[in-house]
Amino acid sequence: MRGGILSAAAAALTLAAALAATAQTPEPYRIGMTVAITGPFSAGYAPTYEAYRTYFKRVNDAGGISGHPVVITYEDDRGEPQRAAAAAKKLTDGALLLINASISPTYKPVMAEAEATKTPLLFGGGVCPREAFPPAAPLIFCTTSFGSKWDSRMALSFIKEQSGGKKVKVGFAAQDIPLSRIELEFAEQHAKELGMDTIPVVVVPGAASDFTPFAQNLKDAGADWVFSWAPWGVEIGVFEALNRIGWKGHYILYGHQPAQDELMRLKAPNLHALTGNAMFIESLPIHAEITKLVQGQTNHPAHYMAEGWTSAMVLEAGLRKCGWPCTRDKLAQALSSVSVDTRGLRGGPIEMTADNHYRKATYYKVYRWDAGKNAIVSVGGWSKLDIK
Amino acid sequence: MPALGGGYFKTSYEADLALVDTRLRRLALTALVLVLLALPRFASGFVLDLVSQAAFAAIGALALNVLTGLAGQISLGHAGLLAAGAFTTAALVERGIVSPLVTLPATALVGGVLGLVVGIPSLRLKGLYLALGTLAMHHVVLYAAGEMQARAGGNTGFTIPAPRLGGLVFRGTVAWYYALVALAALVLVLVVNLQRSRAGRAWMAIRDRDVAAASVGIDVARYKLSAFVWSSVITALAGALFAYHRGFVSVEAFGFFVAVDYIAMIIIGGLGSALGAVLGAAFVTLLPYAIDALVAGVSPDAAQYYVFPAKFGAFGLLMALFLVFEPLGLVGIWRRVRNWVFLWPFRHRPLRASS
Amino acid sequence: MAQALATTLVVASLYALLGAGYVLVYRASRVLNLAQGDLLTLGGYFLFATAATFPDAPALALPLAAALSALTGVLVYVALMRPMAGHPVFAAVLVTVTLGILLRAAIVLVFTDRTRHPLQNLGLSNPPRPLAGGAVVSTFDLVMVGAAVALFAALFVFLKVSPLGIRMRAAGERALLASQRGINFHGVFALSWALAAFAGGLAGMIYSSNVRLEPSLGILGLRAFAVALVGGLDSLGGVVPAALLVAAVEVASVRWGNPLLSDVSPFLCLLAMLLIRPWGLFGTREELERV
Repeated sequence: MRGGILSAAAAALTLAAALAATAQTPEPYRIGMTVAITGPFSAGYAPTYEAYRTYFKRVNDAGGISGHPVVITYEDDRGEPQRAAAAAKKLTDGALLLINASISPTYKPVMAEAEATKTPLLFGGGVCPREAFPPAAPLIFCTTSFGSKWDSRMALSFIKEQSGGKKVKVGFAAQDIPLSRIELEFAEQHAKELGMDTIPVVVVPGAASDFTPFAQNLKDAGADWVFSWAPWGVEIGVFEALNRIGWKGHYILYGHQPAQDELMRLKAPNLHALTGNAMFIESLPIHAEITKLVQGQTNHPAHYMAEGWTSAMVLEAGLRKCGWPCTRDKLAQALSSVSVDTRGLRGGPIEMTADNHYRKATYYKVYRWDAGKNAIVSVGGWSKLDIK
Repeated sequence: MPALGGGYFKTSYEADLALVDTRLRRLALTALVLVLLALPRFASGFVLDLVSQAAFAAIGALALNVLTGLAGQISLGHAGLLAAGAFTTAALVERGIVSPLVTLPATALVGGVLGLVVGIPSLRLKGLYLALGTLAMHHVVLYAAGEMQARAGGNTGFTIPAPRLGGLVFRGTVAWYYALVALAALVLVLVVNLQRSRAGRAWMAIRDRDVAAASVGIDVARYKLSAFVWSSVITALAGALFAYHRGFVSVEAFGFFVAVDYIAMIIIGGLGSALGAVLGAAFVTLLPYAIDALVAGVSPDAAQYYVFPAKFGAFGLLMALFLVFEPLGLVGIWRRVRNWVFLWPFRHRPLRASS
Repeated sequence: MAQALATTLVVASLYALLGAGYVLVYRASRVLNLAQGDLLTLGGYFLFATAATFPDAPALALPLAAALSALTGVLVYVALMRPMAGHPVFAAVLVTVTLGILLRAAIVLVFTDRTRHPLQNLGLSNPPRPLAGGAVVSTFDLVMVGAAVALFAALFVFLKVSPLGIRMRAAGERALLASQRGINFHGVFALSWALAAFAGGLAGMIYSSNVRLEPSLGILGLRAFAVALVGGLDSLGGVVPAALLVAAVEVASVRWGNPLLSDVSPFLCLLAMLLIRPWGLFGTREELERV
């Protein structure tokens, strides 16, 4: 049914465009997005959907790009690989670019579909696949703020810096998904290289009813610092359990969307959130702009929008660079040389090259709760990591 | 010689045993076959994909129908069996064995063994307890599959290359459409024949009253196990088919919800009927898209955020409505409509062996 | 060791509350309520809603949420389970699955899938409490244990001593005979469902205050029915030892065994039980033939 309406619409539009140069309705840029809007993992990805929707509504209201609107078709894949595969098949029909904002198990089938149809694929919400790092696959791009290996390197150098020359014992809390386990095993290795004592990675099932026994394992092993890189539920669950059993060490995790609210709720001085997106408590002009725009439009609060907003900015820049008429090849090329000023949402610009579809340099900031100031503060400024 | 008198008069034993007995049925079947053969000519890739999905679902639903509808053995482990089939194929592909001629029989073997393993407790357990045992099996299979996936070095799943049979490569919507529809038809014929065979009658006897069945000399243990084995083999093969069709196998695709989906298919379709399994499979597969189209038609700009949980909820609601108000399922509705059309102004069909 | 014991008690209390729900429903409708986990989630969201409407008034929000949960149980019986009487058990179990789907869809539609923390609106806090032997638990961990103990004690007294409880037991055993004796078994079954939903909702309220609230908490229910089965589907008394056993296996596998097995350990217990003694530790043997 939808296929029928879509092909009828495409035919009508082509006819109109072919009839006269004075076409009344300009042909749009067609983009497809497969995103986990519902399902058990949606909390991390539905905000990307909302950010994109709000962002491109504003773009279209202002006349579109080169006079053409941007039409994004969204498909809810619920975080299930075969739904994502079906969605990708459906969306690549006529789309200039495909966006994936869902969990990593959906990557392989979507990438296969993009490969088969030569459609550029942008990862806008989930962890970046290694195909986006140099040497990059020609069609894979990624704007997500967190990435394998880079996050661990930054977290461990932060731990080393904070420990001020003392030898510390570092524990690692992973979720029982391959990505988290592998990342933390890498982190363990890297920590050893940096001269720190390590404890073997503690793997936690995502649906654990009580995190206390896992925290117990970490506490008994004598961890001074614990680093966790996993979906938010496990990251914060292990921390809360550790706090509850009276552990006095320091915890650092990757700050996903709920980080700001949770830092404020827990008011724990030993919790550190490493993040690539500036938290909205900094009240930058861009934050106020986003807050005003999403007022009443979205189900998630404004400070969840940072990830999706940045991604939308990159896509807009790519489309503008591509111009009109834009083809898949042209768009891929445009994105391979895009340079986007994130206006403070990230620590610096997002610049991609033909070889590097992640960014030339990535920036991180660490936030924690300061009891004295009764507010969230950043520990130091932006740290830069060159991506080679 | 086709039956005369609207299917009531048969003049030979062959005619009595024929699967498709009246002229009208033969006509309808021929028309359906022609439409299915010619569909790729005038339908879009999206529609073909939908029909392929429905055909694939029908295979699984027919297998579940053999176990639950015919033999009365409640199974909640259907997703686990599909996963077993898919992961067996993945494991073989990982070791370099790619040809379906090897993986499919191997998958069938694994399915059969698993069916036996699950079937043996069924000799002691009934009803809810059996259902729970199968559910426990599902979780154990998924755990094993998850471990296998995690150990395969950082993969978030296994990629399966397109299957090659002789010189034929199955790739693309049209090829898979023909393959899946043909296989679904094959399984349908197989299941209908099973239903009419000695085993089928034994299963139905066990389903209705197994104590009575034992007392007329049916070997209940043997037939219960054979029901499990038949069903598991077909399901495992469906799992392998899934692996080849999607080209990708990961444990997340086999959650409990998949088992619920299949059970919904046979219940909504009508328990115990092969036609019901097919109708139910088509209904459950197409329902989300129908709701999509409905919502798009009614309010195209509706807050998309609400559409998605609404679809989910609508599925549950429809299933509940069917369970409460139409226990005979779609087949029941179909038969009522058909009887009304053919028999009006009469109301009831006279008794006959099958309808 | 003390900590492991403490954690086992807490986890067992959660499972026991859910298990009580399963047993109550089974005795009434002879059905496994696969939506029990979603009733837990619903209870948590009721608390979130009442706490948001009446902030800083836990004395009002908590009982209100509990009452709403119980009311849901009654509605579920009247709207879904009563019409299913006489249908095959399989279909009735399926209806509970669809109930779970509907509940989840409704929760996401109304509350979205963001993680919530009702405790913030209640104005209560959850400080850690040290126990003997060096173990530390949170306040709401203790509340969970206390609630489980209180509920079981109350149910025990109710079912053994009070006239209504005796009627409930009678109706659960032989509904036909009970109705012929003048027991309004529809009312009694509705009450069973209300109690089951209340137990689940209570568990949800405490869990969401202790850990977090999100729509996918229903998965805890799946673990708990292994508990109900191990104890015996029709035995309320069997739920407690079964919950302790399953919780102990889970905690032990994390602390001293393979942590990844902890996820699947309730089902391994379930499988073992089904193979050795299908009617559970304390269930009635003939229950097996009933279905």
